[in-house]
Amino acid sequence: MEKILHKERIDDWISALTGWEVLSPALEDGIWAYRPVSGAVRLDHPNTTQPPKGLAFPQREVFFSFEQIKGEAPRLTQILPDTVQRAVFGVRPCDGRGAVRMDRVFGDHVEDTYYQARRKNVAYVGLACNQPPSANCFCLSVGGSPVSTDGLDVLLTDLGDRYFVAAVTETGKALMTAANSLFDEPADADRQQLKSVHTEALAQPQRAVHNPDAVPAKLKASFKSPLWEELARACIGCGICTFLCPTCHCFDINDEVTGSAPLKGNRVRTWDNCQFPDFTMHTSGHNPRPTVGARLRQRVCHKFQYFPENFGMPQCTGCGRCISECPVGIDIVSVVNKVVEHAG
Amino acid sequence: MPDNIYLPELARITYIKEEVAGERSIKTFRVEPVNGDSFEHECGQCAMLSIFGRGEMMISIASSPLVKDYKQFSIMRVGRVSAAFHDLAVGDVVGIRGPYGNSFPVDDWRGKNLYFIGGGCGLAPIWPVITTAVAQRDSFKNITVFYGGRSPRDIMYKAELEKLRGVADVHLSVDKAEDGWDAYCGFVPANVMDKEPSSDNAIAITCGPPIMIKYVIQNLRSLGFADEQIYTTLENKMKCGLGKCGRCNVGKDYVCVKGPVYSWAELKELPEEY
Repeated sequence: MEKILHKERIDDWISALTGWEVLSPALEDGIWAYRPVSGAVRLDHPNTTQPPKGLAFPQREVFFSFEQIKGEAPRLTQILPDTVQRAVFGVRPCDGRGAVRMDRVFGDHVEDTYYQARRKNVAYVGLACNQPPSANCFCLSVGGSPVSTDGLDVLLTDLGDRYFVAAVTETGKALMTAANSLFDEPADADRQQLKSVHTEALAQPQRAVHNPDAVPAKLKASFKSPLWEELARACIGCGICTFLCPTCHCFDINDEVTGSAPLKGNRVRTWDNCQFPDFTMHTSGHNPRPTVGARLRQRVCHKFQYFPENFGMPQCTGCGRCISECPVGIDIVSVVNKVVEHAG
Repeated sequence: MPDNIYLPELARITYIKEEVAGERSIKTFRVEPVNGDSFEHECGQCAMLSIFGRGEMMISIASSPLVKDYKQFSIMRVGRVSAAFHDLAVGDVVGIRGPYGNSFPVDDWRGKNLYFIGGGCGLAPIWPVITTAVAQRDSFKNITVFYGGRSPRDIMYKAELEKLRGVADVHLSVDKAEDGWDAYCGFVPANVMDKEPSSDNAIAITCGPPIMIKYVIQNLRSLGFADEQIYTTLENKMKCGLGKCGRCNVGKDYVCVKGPVYSWAELKELPEEY
């Protein structure tokens, strides 16, 4: 399903989505984040500071609560996610591809109860990147594209005074059908303009991982390279690189006690981070990844070697957030290029 | 798999035995489901045990899959949850979910000589294989158990090991000589070299401290054991047990799914990050 939507009608489209909570990028305290729509929507944002991954995988969520009178069996009450349907407008193609990768991690082998319950109620209305939204974009190096529809339900392309709206999934079609009368049929001129906008988008200069197909093998050969410690030396272990990554999925599970006699509390999942020293530390004190170099290597090799070995695609989607937001200038594109170059 | 993969079943502790006393004491616990049937497991698999308010920990199941009435765990007191376990009493209720991970390919080993080589707490993960092989004694050729502790007081499953004699060759050791100890004195890898097991039609299964495993494998290789004839079981920090939380990631593997059981042929392909 392909349609034309004049830009002044986007608020009417969103209003017509009854039964959906709609989110769009909002600038709050200098940070772009997806927030419930209040007022007019303008999709002229750069990429958001945070990817939309938190909608299916929140930073903190309660699995179940427990209550136990001393000497008696505990009572567990599972707390399942709400069933609100959420449509997210303005998702960049790199983040759509991020969702594809998260879906594999949480859907393969055994389905993650909580992720799946949330994910099935989230729809992504993407926005093609006519210009790279960040100076650190490199989606073309990781198999992506500024006009990719992977993981999106709808793709919007900005044609100046109107959007070219293409449904990607059945959910996307339903979102469009809900406001059928607002859309126009695309004319030949619209299609031609779409084609030229997409061609220009693909030709925009980006950062580049050199010879990306060779990267997994070169990284494998570089496991013991001294470069890892050298390139990671400035790392302060803040973890911003993974917290803002659209595909980082590591988490912790802990009990939060809220009361005693009877014991009360919640079992909680929170995002965790392979850049923290205690992430892998055994109770004995033994730590398989005891240095910043080992931890940077883990982040890079997981994205560019291990995930491709398991899923046939790089885990990185080239959004560039970890580069832009790193307080000490650790740059994943440059790290990969240097290690690969050093491997010969 | 249950509807909610993170919701534990409730299990009641029916038996507690102190195996090893002291600062890093080891206790054996048996648990039985509070509400009807629990999950079945295979040799080498693990379960996530919970004490509500303290958290979860991944522990290998030390009882044979042939034992249906209870599941056994031998736990060293080292961290927050294991210490809380050591303070529990018979009748207390804990949480359990699982089983997690792969298993020892015991069925493929029928007709072979089996060598078990354990150190310290590392007897527990291979104990289900030992007891399964003994229960199906006619299916296997010679069964030999090497096991060592720091001192005679650090030997776990003492009575059970003594009971094995007659159906299996048992070679115990302690690190340092001590009055009253008449078995081998020295480290476990040295005890293995001393007895010179033959690699002919054999499988060796080892578990213990990383340094012990390293030298056991080195010694087995020098005795002619091929990489495919040597098995071990890895441990790593784990939170989910389902290949999602990322903690136990070694190379492309999540140990909780692809492991914990590895042949040396498989393990040496992974980066040394365990």
